[in-house]
Amino acid sequence: MLERQLLLNAVVAGSTYSLVALGFSVIYSVCRFFHFTHAAVITCGAYLAWTFIFLVGLPPAVGIVLAVLCTALLGAILYGCFYHFLMLRQASPLVMLLASLGMYTVIQNAISLAYGDVYRTLSPNASFGSYPILGARITGVQVATLTANVLLYGAIGWALARTKPGRIARAVANDRELANTYGIDERLVFLVVFAVGSLLAGVAGILIAFDGSINPTMGFDALLMGVVAAIIGGVGSIPGSVAGGFFIGFIQAFGVWKLPTEWQGGIVFIVLLAFLVFRPNGFFGKPLPRHTV
Amino acid sequence: MASLVSRYLGIRFDMDYAFHLIVLISIYAILAVSLDLLVGQTGLVSISQAAFYAAGAYIGAILAVGLRAPFLIEVLAAMLGAALISLLVSIPSIHLRGDYFFIATFAFQLVVTSLLNNWVTVTRGPLGLAGISPVILFGVRIESSGKFAILAVAATAISYVIVWRVVRSPFGRVMRAIREDELFAQSLGKNTQGMKVIVVALSAAFAAVGGCLYAHYMTYIDPTNFTFTESLLILSMVVIGGAGSLIGPFVGAGVLVLLPEVLRLIGLPSNTAANIRQLFYGGLLVTLMFLRPRGFFGKYGFGRKT
Repeated sequence: MLERQLLLNAVVAGSTYSLVALGFSVIYSVCRFFHFTHAAVITCGAYLAWTFIFLVGLPPAVGIVLAVLCTALLGAILYGCFYHFLMLRQASPLVMLLASLGMYTVIQNAISLAYGDVYRTLSPNASFGSYPILGARITGVQVATLTANVLLYGAIGWALARTKPGRIARAVANDRELANTYGIDERLVFLVVFAVGSLLAGVAGILIAFDGSINPTMGFDALLMGVVAAIIGGVGSIPGSVAGGFFIGFIQAFGVWKLPTEWQGGIVFIVLLAFLVFRPNGFFGKPLPRHTV
Repeated sequence: MASLVSRYLGIRFDMDYAFHLIVLISIYAILAVSLDLLVGQTGLVSISQAAFYAAGAYIGAILAVGLRAPFLIEVLAAMLGAALISLLVSIPSIHLRGDYFFIATFAFQLVVTSLLNNWVTVTRGPLGLAGISPVILFGVRIESSGKFAILAVAATAISYVIVWRVVRSPFGRVMRAIREDELFAQSLGKNTQGMKVIVVALSAAFAAVGGCLYAHYMTYIDPTNFTFTESLLILSMVVIGGAGSLIGPFVGAGVLVLLPEVLRLIGLPSNTAANIRQLFYGGLLVTLMFLRPRGFFGKYGFGRKT
């Protein structure tokens, strides 16, 4: 009974990690730098939804859709007004990473100042019921989380594999210069990729907020799990990111179940270090780009 | 002048306060200069300096509280301990560069933070270690903040000179060769992977000196002093001051320790002070990456576009 409940919770938590991993991985594989501010976008998604629902008083569904659209816009703004100008200055990936860390610090602390450090929640009374399933109980929120996540994996996978913008994005990810010579405007591709990746981050933030709580550092914790999932799965691979997220969920559940408390918090990162040693490309990844090895 | 300032701004400005700032700047200078060995000299951007800082502080505190070990023995043990612990991150990430090295050190930092919080039998978890005895060095009991400031400045000077000698040595030249072109350094027969392991250990050992000083100065340590945020602060000191120049990180430490004090002079409410301070660090980092990625005094601008 307990094991089954743990397993179910692992699946639900893992599905959200997968979503974060997917957003991070799409941006990383196309733009080739570590977009740390993704963490701030996740946090913004949750706070925007909270603002629209509880401060503005919109109906929850409208508030959530609006918040998700706003995070997509935020991603586009981050690229258009920030990263784009760094790229114009021929910034190296390390400079992009450091600038991104700085930007994350700025946004996170701005949120802290605006909203305070108190924990909030998106679902104060409604948990949308709970239903028995295979000897465990699944809540309505968990059902919604799983549905939304699976739909989004499918949508992103389909868009990248079958649509023209998806093909263009893959072309830029594969070889930016060659794509340029075929007349693809990489700036437009980056803008769209940032908007889509940030949209996924916003959804993830809202799902985390429904399941747990909202606080200014929630995005940081979520991004960590997402990055670990993306690396374990193989950066740039969609099935990899999804599998990596679920794998992380299971590892955490296993830690809670079997490991002494001192190792529970660190187990995921120990697994990451093990992957970096033995299989830095992850489950499904292509070999790392030359500048990283 | 000092009394005038304190009279008009209503803050305590006496010698103890000045000594306190000197101690803090010294400790952060050791941390930043030791991190510069890695970030500026070898070109490996690491965000785990607070983990080695923690290793030094906890090893020092446990030896001081449990075994009443003499200060110098304690510092040497902490340096050795931190260097050994650094192998746990440097050997796995021996093939990694750039973003991936950063991620590996990031993971290591989080494992250490989690261990400090949860390995209660050794670290006493969030309660922290209290009652760390004052330093007794050559028969002198260093209790007043004035004496401690002298000790901290001396330790900083010694560390700085040693790091400076390392950087100026042939070993230091190979470090910079790894930074500029690792493959080329390898082609000249340099064991670059072994050298990277040694540089990480050296950097960790000096961070441990800072940790020992901090533990004895505060007489109390807990995991909140050694988090990711602390690592980011130390990295910011290196990057803002200027990576690869040694004097840059030193200046960066001074500036980033003194800045919050200036904000306090302006009289910000204390509950938002931490956020505003970090907002400022982040903003400074972003601005510098736009205008001058090599920092104020730096010699290394984190490479060109690949």
